[in-house]
Amino acid sequence: MAHIGPSGFSPYPVAVYEGVLTPPPGKALMFNEIVDEEIAMREAAKAMLTRQNPTIFPGPQVLYAWNEEAKEKAKLVRKMAEVLGAKIIPMYDYRPKYPKINPAIEINPNHPNLTIWHNKIKACIFVGVHCHYANVALKIIRAETDCFTIAMCSMAGHEDAMITLRDQHVEEMEKFIKIAEEVKKELGK
Amino acid sequence: MSYKIYKINEELKDFMPKEIIDLEEKATWGNPKRGVMDLPYTKELIEEHSLCAGCPESMALRYIIASLPNPEDTIIVNSTGCTSLVFPHIALHTVHSLFGNQNAVASGIKRVLEWRFPDKVKDVVVLAGDGATVDIGLDCTLQSFFRQEKITTICFDNEVYANTGGQESGLTVKGHVFKMAPKGKQWDKVPMWQLAIDSGCHYVARLTVSSPKRVEQVIKKAIYVAREVGPTYVHLYTPCILEIGLNSDDGLDEMRARDKERFAFFEYMTPQAEEVINRIKEEGLL
Amino acid sequence: MQATETILYNRAGQRVVSPDYLLFEAPRTKHFMTGSEAVKEAVKRASVDASVSYPITPQSEAAHLIGELWVEGYVGVYFRGESEFGVMSEIAGCAMAGARCITTTSGPGTLRAMENFPMWAGTRIPVQLVLMARGINSPLSIQPDNLEVSFLLDTGCMIWYAETAQDLFDMILAGFVVAEQPDVHVPLITVVDGFFVSHTREAVMLPPDDIALPPYNPYRAPMPVIDAEVPPGRFLRDPFVMKSNYISYATHASWQWEVRAAIERSRPYAKHYLRGLVEHFGDPEADLVFVACGTASAQAKEAVRLLEDEGIPARVVKLKTIRPFPIEELREAVKGAKYIFVPEFNVVGWLEREVRRYLYGHSNAEIIGAPRVAGGMTMPAEVIVKEVLKLTGKEVKHVI
Ligand SMILES: Cc1ncc(C[n+]2csc(CCOP(=O)(O)OP(=O)(O)O)c2C)c(N)n1
Ligand code: SF4
Ligand SMILES: [Mg+2]
Repeated sequence: MAHIGPSGFSPYPVAVYEGVLTPPPGKALMFNEIVDEEIAMREAAKAMLTRQNPTIFPGPQVLYAWNEEAKEKAKLVRKMAEVLGAKIIPMYDYRPKYPKINPAIEINPNHPNLTIWHNKIKACIFVGVHCHYANVALKIIRAETDCFTIAMCSMAGHEDAMITLRDQHVEEMEKFIKIAEEVKKELGK
Repeated sequence: MSYKIYKINEELKDFMPKEIIDLEEKATWGNPKRGVMDLPYTKELIEEHSLCAGCPESMALRYIIASLPNPEDTIIVNSTGCTSLVFPHIALHTVHSLFGNQNAVASGIKRVLEWRFPDKVKDVVVLAGDGATVDIGLDCTLQSFFRQEKITTICFDNEVYANTGGQESGLTVKGHVFKMAPKGKQWDKVPMWQLAIDSGCHYVARLTVSSPKRVEQVIKKAIYVAREVGPTYVHLYTPCILEIGLNSDDGLDEMRARDKERFAFFEYMTPQAEEVINRIKEEGLL
Repeated sequence: MQATETILYNRAGQRVVSPDYLLFEAPRTKHFMTGSEAVKEAVKRASVDASVSYPITPQSEAAHLIGELWVEGYVGVYFRGESEFGVMSEIAGCAMAGARCITTTSGPGTLRAMENFPMWAGTRIPVQLVLMARGINSPLSIQPDNLEVSFLLDTGCMIWYAETAQDLFDMILAGFVVAEQPDVHVPLITVVDGFFVSHTREAVMLPPDDIALPPYNPYRAPMPVIDAEVPPGRFLRDPFVMKSNYISYATHASWQWEVRAAIERSRPYAKHYLRGLVEHFGDPEADLVFVACGTASAQAKEAVRLLEDEGIPARVVKLKTIRPFPIEELREAVKGAKYIFVPEFNVVGWLEREVRRYLYGHSNAEIIGAPRVAGGMTMPAEVIVKEVLKLTGKEVKHVI
């Protein structure tokens, strides 16, 4: 993503209008820079390990046991949370929820800022959220909060996140966990 | 069946709210004998919704969803209107597209699911208001019948455009004063159930939702016949208590009163439909 | 979600090849055919799952031919809908259920279907609509005229414009590939001028017909496909989103931005598969530039040849995409231009408006929205030349 701030007359900024697109295969996006995946992973781990109330937001694609990859990824999400000392707050579906969400325990793409405000989350990871909903939510978060957003996407990534990792499958998630362990050690945590 | 999409990964179960865990553990999946009698004991597939308190549409929706024989493989297509406020809270794959195009969208979905999953039963059910079904969407509704699409169409007839604040619809009774009919409606209520018969539906029923068990029977018949034979149509009276000035506990009485007149129970079936219905009865599914 | 598995044959029994192979590497042979027939040849090689049709001139023949492909087993689902409104909703249903879809329409059909197009974009379906442009009522005309495109510019659909049957063939195949990218995944409207392309025979280079694009994988879509096979089980596509529905205004705003962002994300893919968003023709040094799309660019190329005979250097910048608009490419291309002519097949000059909008503050050239023909008129190259000569004051004999 590029700068925080409004795009045109809408309060919801869109990185692509600042010339920032999803990263090409094999690369990652850090703010408005295309970088090697490993560099982005290190920075992502550092953000999660050093900012307040780091939280992982797992989406339906990893929450439910709908295929083998999802089952594997769920284990890795849990492990990742342990390594990063992060909370897990699920985005278990995308519905406008009635009468309201409970921001302490859930996050909803239609007003993700509520959960971030309530829990004072300063760094977060989106994983397993369908791309459209991740994008809708990330734009709102970017406009409404000072949370450092990290997208761990199994597809092409999300340019409105501050760090976006693309094509993240089991192997890549394992790599991230390993890097996070290293960074943690380096930080003396 | 696709129950797997409700199954939560063990490692992440601790973080899920109870309503979602209940959906996995306490809802009725994989049981075609499920029905309205399960309502008090099992997890419903509808969470809280925002219709007016006591709205009969909400009762109808609960009975219908509880009666689906194959919820884990049922797609529901909806239209704009009061009902669409309930749809986000239904724990199935559902579509709200435009106002009036529901039978067209459903036709596309049904045909593609048959092509993609030739060995699986995927039921497609349309559920929309009277304005959506009979006025703005009449063309799409009838054409899907003409084409013999294997879908079930359910119309929630509250005899008014409720969601936009109470305007006359084609299903308003003659003489009734609503907005846009300030002198009273000038023409008769459209006999949609008859149009459905003439347009090729194989099973047609007209009823109020005063009796949950009867709703269950009708919905099951309609879905089984649509699955095997062709289009089916269910016309339900779900009065808009708000627009006709009733209290939230008056809906049932209003429906019971109409049970004796313009919504007296009526059922039609073709011989092919009857065959299917008799067979599923024998199989104990009705 | 799933790592991609390799599929060797599609359901029609054609060997699956990579898009790059199909578009750029496979040997091609020359065939003589109409634009409508080129649509058939593209669909035949595109592993298409579903198509819904409705008659309207000049697109009917293309729709008939897709029907033939269905009979032959190349297309999974095919039927005639009740109206263009119905058709575009039916095809939306097909796409939401996980199908690769194509449909066709023209003029009044486009306008009848209108409410569907922003819905397609909002629900993120990569349906491809081949639009064979014709006049819109009133008065009724079946003749070529592309006014209808101006109504589509802000629907949230991508819009590409083919000049020839060859372009159309290649664009349809490239179109599926680009539109189905998970970070794009919005509809594509592939426009050609009715009759001029749909009904005119020309040489088209085709790869063999026993190879085809990889089938569509709906599980890579940015939204859950409606098939009850993908979580969340509780999923409404697409809900009411207003504040009164206990969410925030932000949802609709962000969603709308996201659709536009998706179009922007198509740029690198389109650049690759279309070999650039613009095409250059003529003298690269010329300060007289025609900016055009479709048949108008074909005619502008002819005009460049005539002008060359008169000793006036000129060139054409053909726009292959209108949404996304090739902003940078155009700005770059008109550096040094003194005169920019925008020839068009409609009375309002929607392309001129677009060109002015994106060149504002980026070019000192005089922009001239001419010539403009409509209602079925042709645009002889001589008419274009005449406009140029009017400006330069040069008298030339052979011009009408
Ligand atoms: C094309 C279009 N026209 C009009 C509307 C406005 N509209 C929204 S809901 C509605 C009334 C729905 O009436 P009905 O189908 O009877 O359902 P109810 O609300 O009564 O349950 C109308 C007219 C719309 N959303 N779209
Ligand atoms: S307005 Fe009428 S139909 Fe709508 S929720 Fe209220 S009572 Fe029900
Ligand atoms: Mg109504």
